[in-house]
Amino acid sequence: MDLSLIMELIAISIFGAVLYTIIGIAPGTDETAVLMPVTLILVLSGLQPISVLAFFISSIVAKKLTDSIPVAIAGIPGGVLSAPMVEHAMVLKNRGLPDVSIRKMASGSVIGTLIAVPLSLFLANLLIPFGETISKYSNEIFFGGAVFLALMTKNRWLALLSIVPFALLIQGLRHLYWGTGAVPEDTTVFTSFFLGITVGPIILKLLELLNKEIRSNLPRRTTNDIVLKQQEKVKGFPNPFKILDKKETGSAAFSSVLGVFTFFMSPAGMTIFLGEVISSRIKDPIKKATRAISSMDGVTNAAYISGILIPLIAIGAPLSPTALGPGMALFNAPPVFTEDHNLHHILSMGDFIVATVIGAVIAISLTYFVTVKYSQQICTFVFKYIPHEALLGVFLALVIMLAYMDAGLINIGGVILIGLVAGVLHRWGVNYGIQFMVLYAAPWIVGNLVF
Amino acid sequence: MDEKSTINKDSENIERGNNIEVWEDVVNIKDLLLSILICASAAMGGYLIAPDDPQKPLLYGLVGVVIGFLVSSMIIKPKRTLRFEDEEK
Repeated sequence: MDLSLIMELIAISIFGAVLYTIIGIAPGTDETAVLMPVTLILVLSGLQPISVLAFFISSIVAKKLTDSIPVAIAGIPGGVLSAPMVEHAMVLKNRGLPDVSIRKMASGSVIGTLIAVPLSLFLANLLIPFGETISKYSNEIFFGGAVFLALMTKNRWLALLSIVPFALLIQGLRHLYWGTGAVPEDTTVFTSFFLGITVGPIILKLLELLNKEIRSNLPRRTTNDIVLKQQEKVKGFPNPFKILDKKETGSAAFSSVLGVFTFFMSPAGMTIFLGEVISSRIKDPIKKATRAISSMDGVTNAAYISGILIPLIAIGAPLSPTALGPGMALFNAPPVFTEDHNLHHILSMGDFIVATVIGAVIAISLTYFVTVKYSQQICTFVFKYIPHEALLGVFLALVIMLAYMDAGLINIGGVILIGLVAGVLHRWGVNYGIQFMVLYAAPWIVGNLVF
Repeated sequence: MDEKSTINKDSENIERGNNIEVWEDVVNIKDLLLSILICASAAMGGYLIAPDDPQKPLLYGLVGVVIGFLVSSMIIKPKRTLRFEDEEK
């Protein structure tokens, strides 16, 4: 490995970190929606495979660090994975501590990354001999994951019952598109359905605004009065182990380890599950919230890194929600990468380690510094100048555009349909995790229903 | 600062009937529709006028989204009031 390659890896990692620090701050930027297209563009433009990996790792670390900002200041999920954190972050926001919540989350992220990088590389190495067998059973694993997550929710029977109908809806739309010729029969619409599930709760809420009775019963407020507490400046380079107390560090580390081992499960599902488990016995609302968000951010980081590295290194097929969503372009981006010729086949173990470490270190040192040091300035700026309406508008515009890109005009209707159903299910307690697993396993589930 | 917040309040009193809470923040229904319209048409506009090369439509569309966001941010005022706790004491 020569110096010019290392320089290239560093440069592309800086690019990824800067780009996704900015994008991450903008609320509602779904990981898949913002990461997959850019990665795809880089892959297709002929960038070296190893540089693509460094870019991707740096980008996810930076994105996961900054997407806690919109959660903390506005209660808007900065991505799918931060959606489960909203509830806890709101507790802190309502007490005027949004910047504390940003610092705790960012520090949780750093711990998650520090644990996930070595552990994922190690676990991936152990799994290499079983890679082929595992990839044969991916559908069963996703279906099993959906059932498991359903049993973990409060309304477990409702969640369990929703699995097959939801799979029917997804496959029904795909077959409709094939039947009407909206997409060729070898194209499976995925990204936009994924987004449809993500925006489900908002689509439901927005469509409800069109219902007069519901609209007149909504709580009305003229303004949202926010009181920020003046925070002391963080001197020098912020240290995550000082920002978090011992218990928070411990539970963030513990949940990150679990996040790595459950790389094949939905990160959102694991985040919700572990966050609840870890914080449920704490009484003090502020402590409960800080413990939950730091651990949850640790899990999301760990799950993302392991979810991309383990399938890439050990299996070669996108066998984790992360790989199927944001990381899709690393596995399948014809004509550059195909199922039999992607990063798994091209890069050596040494390449994987170098690219991952460079990407992660650059993203942490750049983004963590900015996030923690300037969280209050960032909060103030966003609160003062960024209208909530514009954020919602951007989010919906992205969904509409990607829906159109996937399967044309008909798919805008399809995505609204999926969003409506997903939104209702979400309100009933069938969380994102279950819905995503069903989305992945839908072809298999439906195939097994017909004899 | 004071003057600005009074102006904000006045204009909001007029629109009071249409301010609702979506996703933990207050929005004005008309402004929201306007912003969705601006962002969506900028995005689709970018997507549709782009040359028919792979990835170009997506890129133009993303640029459209950014433009839409900037335009909506400029013409719509946030419905938040912000103060610092320490400043009052």
